[in-house]
Amino acid sequence: MAEFNPIIIAFVCNWCTYTAADLAGTSRIGYPENVRLIRVMCTGMVDPQYIIKAFLEGADMVLVSGCHPGDCHYINGNYKARRRIKLLHAILPTIGIERDRLKLTWIGASDGIQFARTMQELVVQAKGMGPGSGRPEIMT
Amino acid sequence: MEKRHKNALVVGAGISGIRTALDLAQQGNTVELIDRHPAMGGLLAQLDYQFPTNHCGMCRLLPLTRRDEGSQYCLRKGMFHENIHIRLSCELKNLEGEAGNYTARLRQKPTWVDPDRCVGCGLCEAVCPSEIADCFNEGLSDRKAIHLPVPHAIPNAYVIDLASCTRCGECEKICPADAIQLSQSRRRDFQILVVDDELSIRDSLKEWLDEEDFSVDMAASGGEALDMLGKKPYALMLTDIKMPEMEGTELLELAKTSYPDLVVVMMTAYATVETAVQAMKMGALDYLVKPFDPQTLIPMVVRIFQDTEAAKDLELQVDTVVISTGTTFYDPADPRNLFGYGIYPNVLTHIELERMLSHTGPSQGQLVRLDNQQQVRKIAWLQCIGSRDTQVHADYCSGICCMIALKEAILVKKMTQNSTDTAIFYMDMRTFGKSFQAYYDDAKKDGVRFVRCRIHSLAQDRETRDLVIQYVSKSGEHLTETFDMVVLSTGQRPGHQMKELSDICGVDLNPYGFIQPQPFFPAATGNPGVFVGGSATGLKDVAESVIHASAAGLNASGVIWSHHRQAPLTAQGQEAGPVMDETVRDVSREPVNIFTVICSCGHRLEQEVDPGHIMSGLRDDPEMVGQLVIDRLCTAEGWENMVSALEKVDANRFLIAACHPYVFARKIKTLARKMNLHPSLFHAVDTARLFWSVDSPAKEDGSTSGSRVLQELFQGATVLKHTGTDPIMPIPVTRRALVVGGGIAGMTAALSIADQGVEVDLVERDKSLGGNCLWLTRTLEGDAIGPLLNDTISRIGQHPGINVHTQSSIKDITGQVPSFFTVIETDEKQLVNRSHGAVILATGGSEARTDSYGYGTSDRIMTQKEVAAKWGGDGANPADLGTVVMILCVGSRMQPRNYCSRVCCPTALKQAQDLRQSNPDLDIYIIYRDMMTHGFSEAYFTRARRDNIMFISYEPEHPPEVETDQNRVLVRVNEPTLGVPLEIETDLLVLATGVTPQLPDELSATMGVEKDGNGFFLEADAKWRPVDSLKQGIYACGLVHSPRSVTDTIATAQAAAQRALSILSNETQYSGQIAAQIRHSLCSRCERCIPACPYVARWRDPEDDHIHVNDMMCQGCGACAVVCPNGAAILEGFTGKRMLGVIDAAFQGTTVKEVFLEAEK
Repeated sequence: MAEFNPIIIAFVCNWCTYTAADLAGTSRIGYPENVRLIRVMCTGMVDPQYIIKAFLEGADMVLVSGCHPGDCHYINGNYKARRRIKLLHAILPTIGIERDRLKLTWIGASDGIQFARTMQELVVQAKGMGPGSGRPEIMT
Repeated sequence: MEKRHKNALVVGAGISGIRTALDLAQQGNTVELIDRHPAMGGLLAQLDYQFPTNHCGMCRLLPLTRRDEGSQYCLRKGMFHENIHIRLSCELKNLEGEAGNYTARLRQKPTWVDPDRCVGCGLCEAVCPSEIADCFNEGLSDRKAIHLPVPHAIPNAYVIDLASCTRCGECEKICPADAIQLSQSRRRDFQILVVDDELSIRDSLKEWLDEEDFSVDMAASGGEALDMLGKKPYALMLTDIKMPEMEGTELLELAKTSYPDLVVVMMTAYATVETAVQAMKMGALDYLVKPFDPQTLIPMVVRIFQDTEAAKDLELQVDTVVISTGTTFYDPADPRNLFGYGIYPNVLTHIELERMLSHTGPSQGQLVRLDNQQQVRKIAWLQCIGSRDTQVHADYCSGICCMIALKEAILVKKMTQNSTDTAIFYMDMRTFGKSFQAYYDDAKKDGVRFVRCRIHSLAQDRETRDLVIQYVSKSGEHLTETFDMVVLSTGQRPGHQMKELSDICGVDLNPYGFIQPQPFFPAATGNPGVFVGGSATGLKDVAESVIHASAAGLNASGVIWSHHRQAPLTAQGQEAGPVMDETVRDVSREPVNIFTVICSCGHRLEQEVDPGHIMSGLRDDPEMVGQLVIDRLCTAEGWENMVSALEKVDANRFLIAACHPYVFARKIKTLARKMNLHPSLFHAVDTARLFWSVDSPAKEDGSTSGSRVLQELFQGATVLKHTGTDPIMPIPVTRRALVVGGGIAGMTAALSIADQGVEVDLVERDKSLGGNCLWLTRTLEGDAIGPLLNDTISRIGQHPGINVHTQSSIKDITGQVPSFFTVIETDEKQLVNRSHGAVILATGGSEARTDSYGYGTSDRIMTQKEVAAKWGGDGANPADLGTVVMILCVGSRMQPRNYCSRVCCPTALKQAQDLRQSNPDLDIYIIYRDMMTHGFSEAYFTRARRDNIMFISYEPEHPPEVETDQNRVLVRVNEPTLGVPLEIETDLLVLATGVTPQLPDELSATMGVEKDGNGFFLEADAKWRPVDSLKQGIYACGLVHSPRSVTDTIATAQAAAQRALSILSNETQYSGQIAAQIRHSLCSRCERCIPACPYVARWRDPEDDHIHVNDMMCQGCGACAVVCPNGAAILEGFTGKRMLGVIDAAFQGTTVKEVFLEAEK
C-alpha cells in the first residue's frame, strides 16, 4: 500500500517564517515536500477564505506561521491572525474539517532549524490524521 | 585604478553603518558602504535576540517610503538599496582632501573566491581538508578554511581564510563555477629580485622560486640591484643585509625612495636580527633568518604575492565620510586570566553564550555544558570583566553589559522553562536607558538572582569540572557556590585598527583608544567632513547606536548639501524612482504571454529534478509561451546571457526562477527599462529553498521535487497574471517643518533642517528660547553650556529659514505626512495657519517635584536644580557648609517614576566635585542605589571616591530617613559595608528627583502620538525606530523622548532632523508597489478598515464621503483587506483574486485525486 502523502499548505509571512524557510534552504536543512509555502506579507492578511479554500482544494492540513508575538514587522498582524485562527477553530468543525487540521505557529527569521523540525512534525501529525475530509466531497 | 564619485563613504556595515547609509540613501544621496569583514551586520549578525522584546525586528530599520528602492527582506541576511553600493572585505587605506571633496583609497582584501561567480553550492567546503575554530560561533564550533563568513547572509559567497588554507587546490578543482582563484597562473608575472653576494644562496633561492612558477632575477650587489630595479618593475626584493659594497639596509632605503610600492624582505644571519627589525621600521615587510629552507621561504613569498594580487586599490571621490566601525571586546584570557577563560571549558564570554542560545549556533540553541554536553542547570554571569577595572586600564563602564546579562538570563529562563538557576554577580546594575528599569524588574520577577559583589576569581572542581565561585555576602558571610557554566560579561575595547583609521581620517582618540567626539556634538570629529556614528565612540545598545548613526547621517548630509546645494537633493533619486508610465508599453489589453527563465544553478536543476517534467508541466498552460534554461543567473555572465536571449523573445511577462531573487531587484528594474516594460511584469521566484532543502526520503524520487519547483513556478505565473501595472503616483511633499519646543533639542533640530534648505517653524511656549540649558552651567566633563546656548540662539536668530514663534502653542494639527495642517496660536492670541511636511516634537522635560525626605520642611533640603541655581553661578559660597548629603533616586526607579533619569548620578558627581573644589574641607556623602555613570563618565566616579567623597548604597526597601528641626537636618542610613546604622548631621541635603517629561495630553492627542507608561513619547519601535512616532512624519527628541544629557539630547535632535529630512529633502515621495487601495464603488463606509490599519494610514473624508489611504503611511501589510466585508479594500500585489490563484497553483502537479486514491489503496 502506498503511503499516504498529505498536502500541507503553509501561509508564511515574508519577514519571519518565509525567511526561516529560506535560512533552512541556505543551511541545507531539508523540509518535507508535503509542505507548500505560500508567501504573504503578514499573517494578519491571511483571509479565512484562503484557509477554507485550501481545505476545499484538498489540503490535509493548513498552517499559518508568522513572527513571534510582539515581533510582527507590521506591529500587530500576528495577533490579528491568532484571533482569526481561534475563530476558525470554532467554525471549521461545523463544515466537517477537524480543528487540528488548522495550525498556527510562530517561527522567527533565525529559526531555520525550528522551521524544518516544525514542518517534519506537522507531516507526521497529518499522516496520523489521514486524508482531510475536504477531499472525497470534491472528488464525487 | 578605478575612479568613481559617491556622496558619502560609510566605513563599517554594522547596524549603525546600515542606519547611516539608509538615511543618506533615502534622501537621494549615493553611498558607498564598506566593511573589513566579508559579511555585513557587525555584531548583530551573531545575535538572534535583542532586549527588550527578546526577538530581532531589525527589518523595521528598512525605509518606509520609496520602499521599492530597497529590498523588502530580512535585514540581518542582507541589504539591497539602489543608492547604496556595498563593498565587503574592504578597508579604507587613505583619505585626502577636505569636507565636500575627499579622495578615499579603498583596498579590497582577497577572499580568493569571486563573489560574482560563487553560487554557494558548498562542494568546496566538503573537500577542504583544513578545519579551524569558527569565528562566527566564537570558536565554539569548527569550520573549514573555505567557509561562509556568516551562514545566513545573502548573497552568500564563500571566502578562503588563507591563514588556515593548505593550498591543496582541491576546492579550485571541484568548483563548478570557476569561482576559486588561488591565482596559480599569474605567478609568472610576479617579478622577484634576489640580492645576495653569495652565489650559492642566489642559486638555491632561484631554484626554489622557479619551481613555484615565479619569475626570478638575481643581483650580486646593491648597486647591481638598483640598476635592475630601474629597468624592470619588480614586485618583491629579497635582500641580504651583510653585503660588501652596500649594506642591505642602505639598498632598502634607496630602493624604497625610488620605488615606494616595492615589497622588500630582508635576509639576515642570526647575529643581525636586530638590524632586520630596524629595517622593518624603515619599510621592509619582513625578514628571514638564515639558514632557511623552502618551507619557510615559499609560504612567505606566496603570501606576499597573494596580498599584492589582492591589493587592487580603488579611488573614490566622496563628499563626506562616516566612521561606524563599532567596538571589539576585552579578551579575558589576556593577560591575567583570573577566570580560567579558555582553560575551564564551561567559562564563556557573553557573545559566546549568545551563539549557544542561537538556533544557528554550535549547539542549535541548546544550553549545554561544553565538557560533557549535559544540560546546564546553574549558570552565573560575572559583570564588569575588563570594565570598571583600572588594573586593565579600563576606568570606564561598557554601558550595555548589564542589559545583555539581564537579557541572557531571561532568555535562559525562558528557553529552559524556568528550570535553570540564573545568578548575576554585579557591582551596579546599570539600567539607565529608556524602559531598562522595567526590564530589570521583569528579570527579578522571572526569578533571576542578583548578587551584589565583585568576584575576584573562580576555580574549577577537578573531578566534576563544575565552577566554584567564592564570595562574601552583604552580611559578611563567606559563601561558596557551584555553577555548571559561568559567563563573563566582557567589556568594550576599541575597534580593530582604530589607531590606523584615526590617523587616516584625522580624528582624535580618547585615552582608551575610542574616537573622541567634539564636546556637545557626538557625531562630530576634529575633521570637519568626517563623522562618527554608533559604538566607535563607546559601546551602545541598538537604540542609542541607531540614534547616533542618524545623527552622523545628518552631519554627513549637511556637508553634502552645502557642497551641492541641490534643492531638492534627489536628481538621481528620482531617476532611480518608480518607472513613470508614458515610456512603458501598455500591456493591459494584450493577452497574457509569460516567458519563463529557469536558472540551472550550476546544473543542479538537472541533478535534482527532471527538467523535462517541469517544461512539459509549464507547457500545459497556454499562457506560458516559452521557456529557457540558463546556467548560473546569479553570475554576471549568466545574467548577460539571459538578457541577450530575452531581447529576441516576444512576451509581455517574464518569470525568473533563481536563488534569492531579491538580489536581482535592481537588475530586473534595469532590464525592464531596457525592454520598455513595467518592472512588475517581471517576477522572480526562489528556487534555492527547493533545490537545497529537499528532504532525504523524497530525494530518491526526482519527479516529486520537480513538482515542488513546478508549483512554485505556477505560483509565480499566477502573480504575473494578476499583476497591476498602474504607475505609482508621486505624492507632493510640503517642504516645511514644524518643531515644537525651543530647548536645545528643538533648536538643534530646527537648525539642522533649515541648514539643508527647508523652512522651519519653531514654536516655543516660553518667552525665550533655551529650555533647561538656561539653568544648566556645565557638563560633568567641564564643558560650559552657556556658550553653546548663546551660539545656538544667535544662529537661530540670524537664520533666514527659521521662523521663531515664542509664547506660542499648537492649537491643532490635522492632515498627514507629507502635508500636515497646523494652527499656531501666537503671543497676541492670533491664529496662524501653516502647512508642514514633517513635525518634530521637542517639548522637553523638567526636574520632578518631590515631597519625600522632608523636602519643604527646611531650606537646607534642596533639589539638584536648586543647588545649581544657588552655587552654579558665582553668587553663593559653600564655605559655610561643613557636611553635604546627597540622596539619589528620589522617587526614581520606583513608583511614581519607575525609570532611571540618567542625568542625576553624573549631576551629583559634578556638584560634589564643584562644592569640594570651592571648599576642600567639606564632607560629602552620596547615598545611592546603583551609580549610573555609564561609559566614560565612570572615571569621574572613580575620581570622586579617590577624593574621599563617601558613597553609601541603599536598597529601595530600606531608604534613608531624614529628620529635620529648626537648625539641622539629620540623615539616618544603614551602611552596608560596615553593617551599622549611620546618623549624619548635615548642613545641606540634596535630593536627586529625576526628570519628568512635558507632553501635554492635548498636544499628544492632536498630533496623534502616544505616550509610554511614564508619560514620555512612545517610539514606533524602541530599538529600531527610536525617534520615530508610529504615525509617520512625526519625530521626537530631547527630554520628551527620554531623560538624557545635553550631548545625548543633541544626538536625538540631529537624528530626528535626519529622519524628517528623509521626507523633506524630496519634492515628491512614492509609496511602494505593494500598497493598499480602495474600490470606492464597492465600499459601504463601514469603517472597519480604519482601526485595522496599524499605521493610521486610513481615514474617512467627510467632504467626498470616501475612505482614503495615505500612500506614504501604508506599509502594505494587508490588514485592511481582510477585514473589508465587500472586497473594497485591496492590497495591490496581493489581491484576493491573486491569492486564490496562488493557492490553486500550490496544488499543481499533484492532483487531489491521485493522492486520495493512493491513500485508499
